[in-house]
Amino acid sequence: MTNAIEIKNLNKNYQDFKLKDVSFKVPRGSIVGFIGENGAGKTTTIKAMLNLVKRDGGTIEMLGMDTLKDEKKIKESVGVVMDGCNFHDNLKTGDIAKMLASIYKKWNQELYQQYLKKFKLPENKIIKEFSRGMKMKLQIAVALSHEPELLILDEATSGLDPIVREEILDVFMDFIQDEKHAILISSHITSDLDKIADYIVFIHQGEILLDEEKETLLSKMGVLKCGEEDFRKLEVDEYIRYRKNQFSFEVLVNDKAAIRKKYPEAVLDGVTIEEIMLFYVRGEK
Amino acid sequence: MKGLILKDLLNLKGTFKMLGLMIFIFAVIYIPQGNGFIFGMIILMVAMMVVTTISYDDLAKWDAYALTMPVTRKEMVLSKYLVMALLNTLGAVLALIVGIVGSMIMRQSFSMETLAIIGVLYLIAFSYGSMMVPLIYRFGTEKARLMLILSALIPTGLVLLVTQMQIPLPEAANPWIYFFLLLGFTVIMVSGSYLISLRIYNKKEF
Repeated sequence: MTNAIEIKNLNKNYQDFKLKDVSFKVPRGSIVGFIGENGAGKTTTIKAMLNLVKRDGGTIEMLGMDTLKDEKKIKESVGVVMDGCNFHDNLKTGDIAKMLASIYKKWNQELYQQYLKKFKLPENKIIKEFSRGMKMKLQIAVALSHEPELLILDEATSGLDPIVREEILDVFMDFIQDEKHAILISSHITSDLDKIADYIVFIHQGEILLDEEKETLLSKMGVLKCGEEDFRKLEVDEYIRYRKNQFSFEVLVNDKAAIRKKYPEAVLDGVTIEEIMLFYVRGEK
Repeated sequence: MKGLILKDLLNLKGTFKMLGLMIFIFAVIYIPQGNGFIFGMIILMVAMMVVTTISYDDLAKWDAYALTMPVTRKEMVLSKYLVMALLNTLGAVLALIVGIVGSMIMRQSFSMETLAIIGVLYLIAFSYGSMMVPLIYRFGTEKARLMLILSALIPTGLVLLVTQMQIPLPEAANPWIYFFLLLGFTVIMVSGSYLISLRIYNKKEF
């Protein structure tokens, strides 16, 4: 299986923020959820991938090509949705098609029309009058209508109601049915990723903390609830982070099964991506 | 590239309608007075619209998005200069039409003087835009507007000073010399401006 995206040791220095040796892959045929709190470096990473900001080091390959050398060729086959609507307020859906048809070589007008219909986007209204959900759906329709192989979505589902979100997630699932396709989706709405992601890449303060298959992650990790006394018994390598409540300890453990074997009477729960994120960011080591 | 130019023209659709109305009103007011001032108004108003397109782009955060498409930074800058050229030409054509129609209504023949005024203003519009675009790329639309108003005061001040001091302007026997000097100046301005804009834009981070 080849990779749709391969990032190696990406570095970017700002005065008050750094991306430190960010490396991860997006295999073809999969959806990779890119998570992290606001300001963790998700958008900066994506911008560096698209050469919207200049990197200070590292290599990035997309669709098997170097993003600095073959930028234009790559971008013909990549669809990007950013946080918000980037089309001008006074345009209509038809205007957008006219303009994009001469930007993308592979613009597929029929496909675009199909998506407009599917998403129930009006053709006679200007974009200013669209709701936030409609605007995002339009962006997604546009991102899909030049038949891309790779979708990059930066917070594409945030700020949308659950119904619209599900509708959009369905479209992503359709897209990924083709094994050549891949999606990188950054989000802090982790429940969406619980549903669709195959891999989870977790970035925190500019560093990748976690890069793992989602199923492995969720089946292996667990939350142990115990008192202080029991917590002290744990070996350091048996847990990842812990959080202290008023009366008890909540501990994120690496290997749920092993812990259960060792402490049969322990209270062990499964974990969601959101909990993993919270433990890493707010828990203690 | 064609798509980028089309985008600006589509965006200006509403503005064009307003502009048409304004030109009509100005024409009704100023033509009977035989005032050349209206040609300057028309050309400058249309020329200023390139600034409008950039502020629309800013509002939509368009540039960052456009650069995720198969569009190079060079094409982004070049397309703005082409839009500028298109708009300036449109302004000049509109001014010509107003001039010709005006002289027909006033039952005068269309004078060479009017043609010369329009030609000169057409070239000045390019220099004006050439100052404006790099300033906008560097400082953003709002600040650049202010700076341009300030920088427009400097040449105006100089001209006033020259007339105050009654320095005799050199009188060339052939007015064409002035025209070619201006043409050369414009070409230098536009190409210099394009290169500077490209440099600024290449370094820009979104």
